[in-house]
Amino acid sequence: MKYKLTHKTEYKYAEPVNNYHSLVCLTPRTLPKQLCQDFTITVSPEPSQIVERVDFYGNTTHYFSLHSPHKTLTVLTTSVVECLTETTGDPLTKSYITCEEARFRFKEERALKISLLEYILPSPLVKWDQEICDFAKDCFKDDRPLYSCVQALCTKIFTEFDFVPDFSTINTPIKEVLAAKKGVCQDFSHLAIACIRGFGFAARYVSGYLETLPPPGKQKMQGSDASHAWISVFIPDYGWCDFDPTNNVVPGERHIITAWGRDYSDVPPLKGIIFSYGKHALKVEVDVIPLL
Amino acid sequence: MLTEASVNLLQSYQSGIDSYDEILDVNGLVKPHWRALFSTMEKLGLDELKIRNQEIISKLRENGVTYNVYESPDGMNRPWQLDPIPFLIEQKEWNGIAKGLQQRALLLDLILRDIYGPRNLVKDAVIPAELVFDNTGFCRPCVDIKLPASRQLMLYAADMARGPDGQMWILDRRTQAPSGSGYCLENRIVMSKLIPELADGMYVSKLSPFFNSLQNTVLRLSDKSKDAPNIVYLTPGPNNEAYFEHAYLASYLGYTLAQGDDLMVRNGFVWLKSIDGLQKVDVIIRRIDDDWCDPLELREDSRLGVPGLLQAIRMGNVQVLNPPGSSVLENHAFLAFMENICQYFLGEKLIMPSVATWWCGHKKELNYVVNHIDELIIKKANRKSRFRSIYGRLLTKSKKAELIAMISAHPHEYIAQQEVSLSTTPSLIDGNIVPRYAALRAFLVADENGYHVMQGGLTRSSPVKDRFVISNQYGGLSKDTWIVSDKTDVAQEKIVLNAPASVNRHISLPSRSAENLFWVGRYCERTMAVIKFMNITINVLNLDRNFGGSAKQEHIKFLLQSLTHLSSTYPGFIDEDDLLLDPYPEIIDLVSNHNRPGTIAANIGAFLNSVSAVRNQWDLEIWRIVDHIDKGYHEIKNASSMNSNNIQKTLDGLYNNMFMFLGVISESMPRDNSFLLLETGKLIERILSRVSVIQSNFGVKNAESVENELIEATLINHHLLVNYRQIYKSQLSVEAMLDMVLLEKRLPFSIVYMLDELKKNLGKLPSTTRGERLNDAQKSVLEASTLVKLASISALSKCDKNLERIDLFHLLSEISRLISSVSFSLTNMYFSHTMMQHSFFNPVDNDKDEI
Repeated sequence: MKYKLTHKTEYKYAEPVNNYHSLVCLTPRTLPKQLCQDFTITVSPEPSQIVERVDFYGNTTHYFSLHSPHKTLTVLTTSVVECLTETTGDPLTKSYITCEEARFRFKEERALKISLLEYILPSPLVKWDQEICDFAKDCFKDDRPLYSCVQALCTKIFTEFDFVPDFSTINTPIKEVLAAKKGVCQDFSHLAIACIRGFGFAARYVSGYLETLPPPGKQKMQGSDASHAWISVFIPDYGWCDFDPTNNVVPGERHIITAWGRDYSDVPPLKGIIFSYGKHALKVEVDVIPLL
Repeated sequence: MLTEASVNLLQSYQSGIDSYDEILDVNGLVKPHWRALFSTMEKLGLDELKIRNQEIISKLRENGVTYNVYESPDGMNRPWQLDPIPFLIEQKEWNGIAKGLQQRALLLDLILRDIYGPRNLVKDAVIPAELVFDNTGFCRPCVDIKLPASRQLMLYAADMARGPDGQMWILDRRTQAPSGSGYCLENRIVMSKLIPELADGMYVSKLSPFFNSLQNTVLRLSDKSKDAPNIVYLTPGPNNEAYFEHAYLASYLGYTLAQGDDLMVRNGFVWLKSIDGLQKVDVIIRRIDDDWCDPLELREDSRLGVPGLLQAIRMGNVQVLNPPGSSVLENHAFLAFMENICQYFLGEKLIMPSVATWWCGHKKELNYVVNHIDELIIKKANRKSRFRSIYGRLLTKSKKAELIAMISAHPHEYIAQQEVSLSTTPSLIDGNIVPRYAALRAFLVADENGYHVMQGGLTRSSPVKDRFVISNQYGGLSKDTWIVSDKTDVAQEKIVLNAPASVNRHISLPSRSAENLFWVGRYCERTMAVIKFMNITINVLNLDRNFGGSAKQEHIKFLLQSLTHLSSTYPGFIDEDDLLLDPYPEIIDLVSNHNRPGTIAANIGAFLNSVSAVRNQWDLEIWRIVDHIDKGYHEIKNASSMNSNNIQKTLDGLYNNMFMFLGVISESMPRDNSFLLLETGKLIERILSRVSVIQSNFGVKNAESVENELIEATLINHHLLVNYRQIYKSQLSVEAMLDMVLLEKRLPFSIVYMLDELKKNLGKLPSTTRGERLNDAQKSVLEASTLVKLASISALSKCDKNLERIDLFHLLSEISRLISSVSFSLTNMYFSHTMMQHSFFNPVDNDKDEI
């Protein structure tokens, strides 16, 4: 499957902004199962330079700064992404490695431990306690395959939680989400990661896009897609396997990967430091358009 | 005459020793240099030593040496504590210590480069992966931050103390922005000035080679194509505990002291916002911690750093030392692995031992810690966690079990250290020389060959007996540290500046400093203007009360009302008849109430704040005067308990000291932009205050007897009474007075003179007009000065049928408006960028850089 991807972010400020520094993390990754072509980034007003960098996790970021007064800022990224697997994402053969065995191998295999440790430890936005572990207790059994335990967790989150867009911000603690049983994809991903790490496994945060399908018989609306977040869990012998707790699916060709890290704080799509007082309004439009 | 009862200082000290002590060698004999020091102190006498100690205390106070203590109830600045008895280490022993320190520095540099590079230490199982990935100092955005030098760790400080085996042991280290070297320097300077005899008969190594070495290192890092690289010393600001040191070192080393928002990143370069516009920065020596360096990529809530800084470093456009990310080395757990790391990298043993340390993340070590908890101090491996060290032996049984449970739940987060006894050293406490625990911080800087060790250091000793409390946060004392030898011909390193002497002829003035200097001038003059007129008024009041009978005279009312106008402390004497009947309470409030804007106390407070915000601008003479002003400030805040005589005496003292402040500045300050801005602020305030008094005194015509009193007061206010009498004898006329105070060009307090001076000053300041000859400020002054010069004195003196002197009133209002607009224009032109992100941040969980 091939998609044309556009992501437009627009800030409108009440007071002119004189200086602005920004870091953008919106370039789809090129991976064995995904190819990114023709990536462009356009910023208005135009900065004197846009600097590309590959970060600690291999994600591509862009840095720019603006130094003349402006009241509107637009960042537009476009790319063509080809997903090379036409599967649903489920592994062809199921993994039967049990939780107990997985945990043992993380501890005993040095190279594995080194590469996974930071995804097992708490991270800036993902911390856990007994209450969070209790929530996932019935999903993780030592003698069951890790893969199906994670699937059970995602199903549990999917069925017990409501998707409510404006309930949370990126600063809402996991515990609050757990108590309210509602949130958005970031919250569900953080919660899932906390549970998985709480039981001693490695999980990371994946940031990207999801192609949405219009209701049957209706035309797809422009700007109706959104950036999305899900998780990836390390299954010994299989490697990193993606799960989407928000939709209770195994990510496949409709999931486009931009970046991964320990949690959201490693890969915010766009962050900036502003030198101004006053309010601002934000508008984001994302389109994931299938190309035939 | 010798008295038999005289007790030998050394003997009496020795009898108090109950642990191993610095003055004794392994055989229990007094070391020769300590013996020499004691005999010198003997000669000096304990009483003299106490006197010198007092002198040291007041000298440090005068020099403004402070160490801010967070959350202290009595305000922030705490005088630096220096014990007059130095800490002695023999040169030969020190050479061995220096070798050990150099090896440590080398190792730490190798670790730093490995962690932000191939991470072989982890791959080859020399250290556990937790030391990198569970280390809050490991900054992922810093993996591609590199200095263009063979070493990355440029500055390093090591804390040491003497262990029971007689050797120096390493206790701790600082690798981000080590503090303390400036206090060493100040300690040495004060000691050599006030108690030079102590060094009789020995040779004390110099500290300056260390700083020369630092300057060379910085120079090597800076842009080689420039003869005068722009080097910035980056401080978190006056709220930081060691701000004194930042300002002190910046001016000693000749670098520009700046805060985060004095700098900005633009087009990948770092720029200093100065009143000459933006100036490119080549090297930054930072005194802010890693996390706070760049809000874009590190702590988002940091107001101390510079957004975009990391990117500018990556692009090679600026060098920062130590490079951000070096806090990774401050994790306590490294101490447990240093021996293995040394073997791994260098294939040799550590020269200096560290205090025994166990990382609890391994089973065997955890078991050891649990079984020996009574002998251990428990800490978190990550320094940034708010966790006070726990002494196992001080815990009750149940607390101990709790602690063990806590460690066992997350063993990799904890380390344990042997609780070692440390050596004691002679300290002057309450007038007696007694043994106290001490520890020493040593300083290293990377140079071309390796690491240069400062020949000295910062010794801290505990003020309390048998306890090891040395942090300055908790009242520790500091000591000068002497590396001593008999001969003066110890091979002295010759310091050669390896670049042609680079002279920064143009010193850029950061906008924030510029603004503070401007306000130093304004507040100084504002305070003086109010004091001056207050004194005039009190004198008249006293005269009236004591010699004029009970009837209040009309002119007193005008003087009191002028005082209200002048200080903008409305309503004051304007509408309040009660106050006029008994003016003293209001006068005392005008003197002492530091919470009421416009009062003398409030103005001095503001003055002192501005002065300390640019403390790197002042030399010692000025600090001495500022200290006196500070004392006067504390006195007048209590003026309500003083009688009017004493109030006047204190006010006179304050006035004289402020005059002296201006005098020293005008005699000694370089005629650069700093001086011009201070002068400009002073002149603006002087003009506004004089105009205000003339306006309220003579805006309305009064009976001649009243006017005569007002004329006299006004002339005194302009320092002109003597001059007037010489010319006009005793004849007082409004016309003659106005002619003099407004138009006489040779009188420094006449309006015309001050306007002309202001015009000259503005002409010398850098101007940012586009295409026009004069900027807005210059235009306003020119207009004001022209208006005055064209004025007709006879027209000004006339009044209309309501007795109002309309022309005079209008002219003075216009001057006032124009001169106020000058201040506004200057703010826009030079200081506007300081308003953007001006914020004082309370240290949240900012790691305290304790020294």
